Amino acid sequence: MSAHTSTKSVADPKQSRSKQLIVRIADMRAWLFLVLLLVFFETWSRISYGQTFVFAAYNAQSIAIFAVAPLLLALGSTFVIISGGIDLSVGFIMGLSAVVAAHATNMAGVSLSPFPAMLVGIIAGLVISLGPGAVNGWLISKLKVPPFIGTLGMFGVARGVAFLLAGGTTVPVSNSWFAALGNGRFLGIPIIVIIAVLFVLLMHYVLSQTRFGQHTYAIGASEQAALRAGINVGRHTRRLYLLSAFCAGLGGVLYAARFTAGAAQAGEPLLLDSIAAVVIGGASLFGGSGTILGTVAGALVIAVIQYGLVFINVEPFWQFVAVGVVIIISVLVDQTQRKLGGDR
Amino acid sequence: MKKLSRALAAVAVGAAVLAGSVAAQAQDKKFTIALIPGLTTDGFYITMRRGAEAAAKAVGAELVFQGAPEFNPVLQVPVLDAIIARKPDAILIAPTDKVQLVEPLKKAVDAGIPVITVDTFIGSGKYQTGAGDGDFPLSYIASDNVLGGRIAARALANAVGGKGKVYVSNVKPGISTTDQREEGFKDELKANFPDIAVLDTQFNDNDANKAATQLQSVIARNPDLVGVFGANLFSALGAANGVQQAGQSGKIKVVAFDAPPSIADNIKTGLVDIAIAQHPAEIGYYGVISAFAHLTGQSIPVAIGTGFTVMDKTNIDKPEIAQFIYKD
Repeated sequence: MSAHTSTKSVADPKQSRSKQLIVRIADMRAWLFLVLLLVFFETWSRISYGQTFVFAAYNAQSIAIFAVAPLLLALGSTFVIISGGIDLSVGFIMGLSAVVAAHATNMAGVSLSPFPAMLVGIIAGLVISLGPGAVNGWLISKLKVPPFIGTLGMFGVARGVAFLLAGGTTVPVSNSWFAALGNGRFLGIPIIVIIAVLFVLLMHYVLSQTRFGQHTYAIGASEQAALRAGINVGRHTRRLYLLSAFCAGLGGVLYAARFTAGAAQAGEPLLLDSIAAVVIGGASLFGGSGTILGTVAGALVIAVIQYGLVFINVEPFWQFVAVGVVIIISVLVDQTQRKLGGDR
Repeated sequence: MKKLSRALAAVAVGAAVLAGSVAAQAQDKKFTIALIPGLTTDGFYITMRRGAEAAAKAVGAELVFQGAPEFNPVLQVPVLDAIIARKPDAILIAPTDKVQLVEPLKKAVDAGIPVITVDTFIGSGKYQTGAGDGDFPLSYIASDNVLGGRIAARALANAVGGKGKVYVSNVKPGISTTDQREEGFKDELKANFPDIAVLDTQFNDNDANKAATQLQSVIARNPDLVGVFGANLFSALGAANGVQQAGQSGKIKVVAFDAPPSIADNIKTGLVDIAIAQHPAEIGYYGVISAFAHLTGQSIPVAIGTGFTVMDKTNIDKPEIAQFIYKD
């Protein structure tokens, strides 16, 4: 398992068995939330409408499609937050990538056939995201700008550039391959969901099985200790912000494909949802803990609330309340777990 | 001193009237007219700016275009203050709040700068009535958003054959224009299309992703849904994608309010069935012309309503319709 859990298991012998059990459950709280929510919506739906909520493929698919965009932002943020940082610029990096992907696909489409034109668009959208990511990493690791401030500045820059490139409007894309990427199905599953799942598996592997992942936890637990242990913290930090920006770039490209338009404000409403997903998923904003699978559950919790409350026809403003309550409970569980588990 | 300035003012007014009587002599004093949009990053206001520039060129005035990147009074008021400090001859503004912009705009009037509101309004939107708060702007130039909502309702009702379930996909409550569109839409259906049921409005926070998932959820509970009205760009973009994801393209009619190029494209590909285009260039043009008329001593109407164009697949390629697609 991850470096994080293995550190904890060293401390485990001191604990009673029941405490260990509580800690174990607390680690999986995001999945518990998810199950509780599904039970809630299933019960309500059956009683009020005599309809199933959970066992309808259509509902599952709709929820999955909704979760893709916030989840992609949240995957990169999981790494950054575990390292003790934060990336506020992802929302507008996503918008920038969406606009650039749309423009590049259209421009390449003039001389190329649709398929290679789409590839040009995708690559341009992904590459452009690395620019702000590199600047973020440089500001934070070289100039020692606090991540909150540095990425807030980049939030503004990426936003301004995206709006300038888009000319203040949305940039329509006309490319049949690109539209199929965003809205097509493979074996009945939306292609964007398949891409997100593959990306989740890759990120899970990187965080839990590789040295890159271990170093991320180490830096988040104690930057000084990580330095003494010989970890190149500066270089690692720069890579983390590149990764975060890349995830946002992928989100932007898929947005442009799905809505067949690049919009500078595409990711604006998603920033807070993505950070909420990471926190509900069990990561600590102080760094050192968190998992990819937790983040996936966190993103699904938000998506289920969003979809479910419309489904059972509840006043829409309750969505904000519901997500807020889940975040607060999640943080409370985290605090209790730390006390019980003696985890730092 | 006071007398002197009064005398000077009288001379200035006299000069202005003289200049007005011979429009060509406007070159004597080149008027500066400021246009403050609701937000700068929106195709609607960018198109309005084009119309305003065309009018400014026609009458030999200079147009200043400055605004905030978001539709938000907290961001718009500092821009307004900076413009007032520059003392333009007139201010055209799309106020971002009916109430919060009243006091800041009074400062402009106190500084002797006439104010005309475009697209949105302050107070009740009825000006020069002596009602007090917020009736001081000279004119309100805009499309009638309630009427726009009614037009959307008629177009949707005809497209679905006058019966079935529909709902409004909206941004969030409290925005004067989108609230009015929803109001007009619902009123028209209630009055003239009794066989159409309007479900609860879904608010999406200007997030297309949310608007899409809301549509999918509404269909899950109401498989007999026949239409949706997207009250602004992202509401419509999201609703159209929701229809597509649910595999209901063509069966569920999507009406979009506003017509930026991406919506025009979606009409051609069939994702959106109908768009209600406002005429923002017209608003900008008549804004500047009205300001110029006032500055040169002419009286101007307290309200000017600009029109709408209904776009669908059958007419979108005609030049007389396509001219109303917002430019970027």
